[in-house]
Amino acid sequence: MKKKIGKEIISAENVVKKFGEFEALRGITAKIFEKEVVVVLGPSGSGKSTFIRTINRLEPHNSGKIVVDGVEINDDVKNLQKVRSNVGMVFQQFNLFPHLSVLRNITLAPQKVKGLSRTEANDVAMSLLERVGIPEQAEKFPSQLSGGQQQRVAIARALAMQPKIMLFDEPTSALDPEMIKEVLEVMTELAESGMTMICVTHEMGFARSVADRFLFFDEGLIVEEGTPEHFFKNPKEERTKLFLSQIL
Amino acid sequence: MTTPKINFREIKDWTVDNFFGSKLGILLTLFSGLLIVYFISSIVSFISSAEWEVVSINKRLLLLGRLPAEDTWRAWPILWVFCFVFCSSIGAWGNPKKRELLLLLLAFLMPTAIFFSMSYIVHIFITIIIGSASYISSKIIRRTLYLGILKKGLVSLWILLIPLAFTILLVGGGPQSNLWGGFLLNILLASVAVVAGFPLGILMAVGRSTKLPVIKTACTVYIETVRGAPLVAWLLLAWFVLPKFLPNLFGLNDLSVVIRAMIVLSFFASAYIAEVIRGGLQSIPSGQLEAADALNLGYVDKMRIIVLPQAIRVVIPAIVSQFIGLFKDTSLVFILALTDLLQVGRIIPEQDPKFFGRQIEALLVVASLFWVVSVVLSNLSSRIEKNLGIGTR
Repeated sequence: MKKKIGKEIISAENVVKKFGEFEALRGITAKIFEKEVVVVLGPSGSGKSTFIRTINRLEPHNSGKIVVDGVEINDDVKNLQKVRSNVGMVFQQFNLFPHLSVLRNITLAPQKVKGLSRTEANDVAMSLLERVGIPEQAEKFPSQLSGGQQQRVAIARALAMQPKIMLFDEPTSALDPEMIKEVLEVMTELAESGMTMICVTHEMGFARSVADRFLFFDEGLIVEEGTPEHFFKNPKEERTKLFLSQIL
Repeated sequence: MTTPKINFREIKDWTVDNFFGSKLGILLTLFSGLLIVYFISSIVSFISSAEWEVVSINKRLLLLGRLPAEDTWRAWPILWVFCFVFCSSIGAWGNPKKRELLLLLLAFLMPTAIFFSMSYIVHIFITIIIGSASYISSKIIRRTLYLGILKKGLVSLWILLIPLAFTILLVGGGPQSNLWGGFLLNILLASVAVVAGFPLGILMAVGRSTKLPVIKTACTVYIETVRGAPLVAWLLLAWFVLPKFLPNLFGLNDLSVVIRAMIVLSFFASAYIAEVIRGGLQSIPSGQLEAADALNLGYVDKMRIIVLPQAIRVVIPAIVSQFIGLFKDTSLVFILALTDLLQVGRIIPEQDPKFFGRQIEALLVVASLFWVVSVVLSNLSSRIEKNLGIGTR
C-alpha cells in the first residue's frame, strides 16, 4: 500500500553552514513533502546530521533559505518557536533528562510550552508510553532503563509536543544490536501512521522498507537522490556505489 | 567448638615483621613511639591542670555575647524552633545509619555538656522533648500519605527560620542589633549569608554563562571584584567608607553594623558560590541543552528545570565546603567591634588575673562549637548527595 504524499512542508534552498573555515554544508537544496519518509545517507562528516540540525536551528545556517511549514527560519525568535513547535527531534545519545522521571521527561514540555495541565499531560504521556510499548516504566529514571527503552522514551517525549515533522539523528547508532530492533519497530509504526520523517540512519533494512526517498550526502552536498529501488538497483554516481558497497 | 588458643609465636612474628623488620623500621618505631608518648603526656598534663572556670562563668557570654541578661530568654524560642525543624527534617528525609546517628549525638551532647546549667534545666528539658518528639512524629508521618505535605511544610519552615529568629530577637523592644553576639551571632550571620548568597550566586553564575555581552560583563566584573579583595577589607569598607559615599537615602547610613556585615557576607558568599556553580554548569553535556531547545522550552525553564538542578547536584560538596568556610569567616566581624564567639573566647581570659594563661580552655570550647556545626554540615552534604543519587547517570 502506497501512502499519499501531501504538499511541500520543508524547503531548503542553497543552505550553507560553516564551522569556522570548514564548510559542513556547501549549498543544500531539497524539498520534503507531508507524510514523506526521507532517509539521509552518507559517509561520516558528509554533513547529513548538520543538515537535519539546521531544520530546527540547533545549527544556525550561514546563508540560504529554509522554510518549514510556511515559516522561514531566521534570527526571529517567534519564527523559531513556531518551527520548533512543529518539529520533534530524536538524538543519537537520547539526551533524556537524567534527573527527571520518565513521565516527567515527557510531560515537561507539554506543560511548560503548550500549557497543558498536569493531568492532561500525564494522559498524553501515558498514551504515548503505551504506543512505544513501555507504560510500566513511567515512574523510573532514565538511568534505570536499557538504551532501547531510553530511545523509545525520547521518541515519546518528542511526540508529546504533537509535531508535524520528526527528525531522527542516527537514533540507533548508540544502541546494542539487540535493542535496535525495538526502536526501529516504533519508527516503522510512526512512519506508517503518516508522520513526516527525516532520518539519518545506517539501518539499510529499515530504510529500504520504510523510506519514500533517499538523499545521499557527500562532502556537504546532495550527490544523488531517488527512491530506494533506484538506489539499490542502479545508483548513478560512483560515490553512491562505493558507499553502498561498503555499507551493505 | 574449641576456643582458639592465642599463638604467642605468631604475635611475636607479626610484631617483629611490622615494627622491627629492618634498621629503618626500628628507627621509625622508636621515633613514632616517642612522639605518641610525648603527645599523650602533654594531653594528660593539660587535662589534669585544666581549669574550666573561665568557661563556666562565661557561658552566656560565649553563646550570646553582649546580649543583655534580661533578653536571654529570646535565645530559647529560637533554639526550640530550630530544634523542631532540624529534628523533623532528619525524621522526614534522613535514614541515618548508626554511625551517623552516633556522630550527630556526640556533636550535640558535647556543647550540651559544656553549657549545661542547673538554672536552665527546664529549658534544656523542653529542648530535648521537642527534639525527640518532632523526630519521632515525623518518622511516623513518613509512613503515611502526608509525607509530601510534611516535606513542603518543613522546606517553608527552613526558609522562614531566619525571619522568625529576627522577629524573636526584636519583638517587644528587643536589644539593639549590635549587642547581638557570641555563637548566636555567628550562626545568624552565616545563615543570612547562605540564604541570600546562594540565590544571588546562582544568578551571577547563570549571568556569567550567558552570551549576552552586557550581562556577562556585569556579572564577571561583580564576581572578580568581590573575590579580588579580602573579606576583612570589604567589612572595613562597609563600616568606614560606605557611609561617606552613599547618599543618605533609605536610612542606609544608619544601618546597624550587624546588618552591614550580613550584606557584605552575602555578597562575598555569592561571588564564590557563583564560580562553583559555573563549574557545575560547564559539566552539563550540550545534548541536554539541545534536547531542551528541540522541545521549545524557554530559556528560563531550560535553566531552572533542566540545567541548574543537574549543575548544582554536581557541585554540592564544593558548595557545602564554601558554606563551612563562610561560617568560620563570620568570626572576622570582630573588626567591626562585634563580639562573636571567637572574640568572646579571646577576651574572657583577660577578665580576671586568675584566668591568666587559661586561653587554651576558652579557645578549645570555641573551636569545639565551630567543629560541631561544620561536622553537621558536612554530614548533611553527604546525606544530600546520596539522596540525590537516584536517577544520575
